[in-house]
Amino acid sequence: MAPPAQSHRSPSPSQPSGKGEVSDLKTQLRLLAGSRAPGTDDTKRELFKKVISYMTIGIDVSSVFSEMVMCSATSDIVLKKMCYLYVGNYAKHNPDLALLTINFLQRDCKDEDPMIRGLALRSLCLLGVANLVEYLVGPLGNGLKDGNSYVRMVAAVGVLKLYHLSASTCLDADFPPLLKQLMLKDKDSQVVANCLTSLQEIWSLEASTSEEAARERETLLSKPIVYYFLNRMKEFSEWAQCIILELVSKYAPMDTEEIFDIMNLLEDRLHHANGAVVLAIIKVFLHMTLSMTDVHQQVYERIKAPLLTLVSSGSPEQSYAVLSHLHLLVMRAPYIFSSDYKHFYCQYNEPFYVKKLKLEMLTAVANESNTYEIVTELCEYVANVDISMARESIRAVGKIALQQYDVNAIVDRLLQFLEMEKEHVTAETLVLVKDLLRKYPQWSHDCIAVVGNISSKNVQEPKAKAALIWMLGEYAQDMQDSPYILEGLVENWDEEDSTEVRLHLLTAVMKCFLRRAPETQKALGDALAAGVADFHQDVRDRALLYYRLLKYDVSVAKRIVNPPKQAVSVFADTQSSEMKDRIFDEFNSLSVVYQKPSYMFTDKEHRGPFAFSEELGNLSIGTEPSDAAVAAQRVEANDNDLLLGTSEKEEGHGYRSNGSAYSAPSYNASTTAGASQGHFDLVSIDQPSTVHPPASFAIDDLLGLGMPAAPSSAPPTLLLNAKASIDANAFQQKWRQQSISLSQETSIDPRGVAGMMNPQALPQHMQGHSINCIASGGQAPKFKFFFFAQKEDGSSAYLVECIINSSSCRVQLKIKADDQATSQAFSELFQSALAKFGSA
Amino acid sequence: MAATSALFVLDIKGRCLISRDYRGNVSTAEVERFFSKHLEKEGDMESHGPICYDNGVSYVFIQHSNVYILAASRQNSNAATLLVFLHRVVHVLKHYFEKLEEESLKDNFVVVYELLDEIMDFGYPQYTEAKILSEFIKTDAYRMEASQKPPMAVTNAVSWRSEGILYRTNEVFLDVVEKVNLLVNSNGQIIRSEVNGALKMQTRLSGMPECKLGLNDRVLMESQNQSSRVKAIDLEDIKFHQCVRLARFENDRTISFIPPDGTFDLMTYRLSTQVKPLVWVEARIERHSRSRVEMLVKARSQFKERSTATSVMIELPLPPDATSPTVKTSIGYAKYAPEKDALLWTIKSFPGNKEFLLKAEFKLPSVLSEDAVDRKAPICVKFEIPYFTVSGMQIRYLKIIEKSGYQALPWVRYITIAGDYELRLS
Repeated sequence: MAPPAQSHRSPSPSQPSGKGEVSDLKTQLRLLAGSRAPGTDDTKRELFKKVISYMTIGIDVSSVFSEMVMCSATSDIVLKKMCYLYVGNYAKHNPDLALLTINFLQRDCKDEDPMIRGLALRSLCLLGVANLVEYLVGPLGNGLKDGNSYVRMVAAVGVLKLYHLSASTCLDADFPPLLKQLMLKDKDSQVVANCLTSLQEIWSLEASTSEEAARERETLLSKPIVYYFLNRMKEFSEWAQCIILELVSKYAPMDTEEIFDIMNLLEDRLHHANGAVVLAIIKVFLHMTLSMTDVHQQVYERIKAPLLTLVSSGSPEQSYAVLSHLHLLVMRAPYIFSSDYKHFYCQYNEPFYVKKLKLEMLTAVANESNTYEIVTELCEYVANVDISMARESIRAVGKIALQQYDVNAIVDRLLQFLEMEKEHVTAETLVLVKDLLRKYPQWSHDCIAVVGNISSKNVQEPKAKAALIWMLGEYAQDMQDSPYILEGLVENWDEEDSTEVRLHLLTAVMKCFLRRAPETQKALGDALAAGVADFHQDVRDRALLYYRLLKYDVSVAKRIVNPPKQAVSVFADTQSSEMKDRIFDEFNSLSVVYQKPSYMFTDKEHRGPFAFSEELGNLSIGTEPSDAAVAAQRVEANDNDLLLGTSEKEEGHGYRSNGSAYSAPSYNASTTAGASQGHFDLVSIDQPSTVHPPASFAIDDLLGLGMPAAPSSAPPTLLLNAKASIDANAFQQKWRQQSISLSQETSIDPRGVAGMMNPQALPQHMQGHSINCIASGGQAPKFKFFFFAQKEDGSSAYLVECIINSSSCRVQLKIKADDQATSQAFSELFQSALAKFGSA
Repeated sequence: MAATSALFVLDIKGRCLISRDYRGNVSTAEVERFFSKHLEKEGDMESHGPICYDNGVSYVFIQHSNVYILAASRQNSNAATLLVFLHRVVHVLKHYFEKLEEESLKDNFVVVYELLDEIMDFGYPQYTEAKILSEFIKTDAYRMEASQKPPMAVTNAVSWRSEGILYRTNEVFLDVVEKVNLLVNSNGQIIRSEVNGALKMQTRLSGMPECKLGLNDRVLMESQNQSSRVKAIDLEDIKFHQCVRLARFENDRTISFIPPDGTFDLMTYRLSTQVKPLVWVEARIERHSRSRVEMLVKARSQFKERSTATSVMIELPLPPDATSPTVKTSIGYAKYAPEKDALLWTIKSFPGNKEFLLKAEFKLPSVLSEDAVDRKAPICVKFEIPYFTVSGMQIRYLKIIEKSGYQALPWVRYITIAGDYELRLS
């Protein structure tokens, strides 16, 4: 073998220290290459070991490639192994060198020793050089037929490696059918398991382009194959069991009897020591029983003990992963762990990431019967442990308060926190007290008494400061010193770095002024002046708005800035229920830990096998792009601030409800310039109710707030094309491009819901009304459909996303149309068709 | 299940020591960059938990001594499985090198590579039984002359045990270890009490022995109508090593198995029936003046006289700015451990139903420091009580049958130890 040109290349300049040693090694290896003297192998071993060490610590030893290959002509397995390692590492980046090794690897694939055959085959597949793939086919084919199971095991995965190198070579060699044969008849369980993983991956990836592959992918989920695995379950290693259980969880049994059979067969696995197996079983149980409400509840009872054991025994990392799953389950069935809340009490020495999840659990399981104990426990954390834990605990108390009806004791506790006089406790509590007041205004008296004693100097954190300022403004009439405290804050305007605080200060001073004008006049003037001069756009805009409002009419300003508020009954949930369902579908995966579905954090090419809902998933990405983008940034969902979100809402609400009142006089003003103040008042009070009813109706519709009972008797004038058609891809594209022109919620006839038992019934029914179903999915109680229809003359297409909740009989519609003007008419048509479903 | 892209072993600073790239879509540089970024921001890896996401890659990792074991993936991997798997990797590496740390890895790159190739292939977990792996991947191979055996055991029907094992004397050691977790709040109420039990087995048995284990499990005893000389107990959630025939247990509660060779946990169980705290500690703190503080501690053993707790250590938290403590004890000795801000009271032997006292006096600076956060740690207690189980668990029999007909000796020991045992200060 002639030394290749590459041997002249120098080691990478970043590792000059290794240069001397490497060339030393090279000479020594060359000397040994031809030697047959006794003891040579030992010397070689030492040298090889050195080469591997250099390679690992990052010294480039690719220059000794040819010497290594020459020395590897040996029967010594230890040397061979090291040589394989070396080759595997450098071949990818030196394709020409890789060619050198093909020869001896192929020879080793025929060695007597099965260990060498297996290792050589694995190394051969790892070379990863695309133009050498044809050399793989022969050895792989032999490997799959090898008499030794170790070699077959390696070959089964080798096929998958080949597929990733060159899909066509792999398919042309007919490897997938071979794998399938092997999977169904091999005696060795690990060979079988490896065949399954390889096939799953290959067929899932092929399924998008080949119908046959898609069919094969389905057959993996067919009854004979699933049962074949179930019956052999006990033979498999724990990891293989996890893979098989994942497969089983996708299987759709024919009837309830089958479900019970499978569950009985698998129940003993819940005693498995490996937590991974236990979670995989739980996934199977939960998914299989989704449509059987009673049994589903029993499953929750059954899995409780194993899950709690996994939390309390084992590593903290395992607790973390399991707690994430528990949290998901509790969200779906809050009562299941409500009597086990003590399992979620925090131990002092636990890592913070576990404690944090435990706090979330405590918040989630709190109900009328256990709240007192839980809150007592949380209060201990507030007083005792480190700062971040104290903060989280206060938030937890606050969250519990917001979700309970009886908050007496909790409010007292929160107020006690304020008296602890620790800065971080005060700050965190203020934020919560503010949220609490928005939901329970009746507590304002008690809270204000305590909050009033807090010196604003002791509150530095922007969020807390903003909360305090909000209360100073909102409860200006109850807090004696409010105007003066605000005045002091306004004086220090320039030192306030936080935009949020400055915005709130403006609003608070404004509110205070509207109630106690004489005392606040000076502060307001200063605040507006400072605000108008502020460098931040939002602050400037808000100051200008207030200024103009006041200049225009104080009473209008009052209604806009300080309208009577309704208590907030429910704070916006950060996750849609659709999202939660999607995460539940991906139980036992990273989705649960991240609390978002996998399409948000994986690239398309890296989605796992069997991503069935992918098509539907892509569609819905289009509808909530901002949500997805935001959620992706927001791993710590806890940190999302109620204040910010809601304060914006509050302002928005102010504009909206008074929108017509505000705009109406302004154009009037231009025509009757110099009109008296009194006249304006008149106009602004009268106008909205008389002039603008259609406008406000339109707004209502846009917001989807309660359909103004569409007269069902009015015959729809819109006619649909009975032969309209579109393919799924075009639909998908269109759906992504267009914006929603109509979004409505309505209800469906319970008889129609009964018809949902057969999911094909609705698409057929709708087709009778010239509305075609493009895609459907979901499980009881939630079904999702995508429909397509076209105007009779073909001029306008309508795309509909329809989510039917069969337990609440509610229907959510999202309609997109080419011709938006007709979307209302289409919606009526669609709904009347839907209403006939089940009744016909 | 989604595949893992690569496994890494990183040092404490997040530099890669050794790695195995299975899929070629996550580079070492990416991992190192993520880690250093994270370390810079958070100071340590603890705070964020064992699963992180960065730029399309999910990192799942655990720490062991001074190294991190990390799996990286671009797919929606199975989080819990990966964590269990990583712990198994640690177990395997520890089996090989006794200590898993930076140094032991650096001395054994070749073996680590071989192991990483066998425990995972193309990102799918394969074999993680240390005992089996060590039959065909040997650390001392580099001095061995004979060629290595093919890995026949890897693919046996009994994947956790090889055939042809031979011992001169056949013995089984079975330890029943019960760990008591206790949490007492500042009012002296027990708010959580739990027992985690484990049957730890060490087998030195030839051939393919069939074992059958009898416990005083209530379900089993009642089904057999056994007149109970032995008190039966309720086991809440039992988990078995993969060698135990689960179907058999499910049918008639028989625990039968062919054990792996060496040490393993045969079964674990949990009891959440409340037990009286075995060791009770009360502390009273008296502030005589602003700077002089006295602490009175009473420790009481609440188990029968015939048992004795050993290696008792009571960790009493002190304020971080406490100085020059003086201690008097009625038994054992107490040592001030400034690094833990605690007084460590050690009692070598603590007989049942006894009470001991400790009096400590320490000084606090007269000037109150501004940023002193009142971080009150609980009292933590460690102890061991040999020949005793809280639950009353008993091994009724352990039968070992092998076709060669040898007699094997079972050795059974019981011990109760303190797990997370915390009593909060009032």
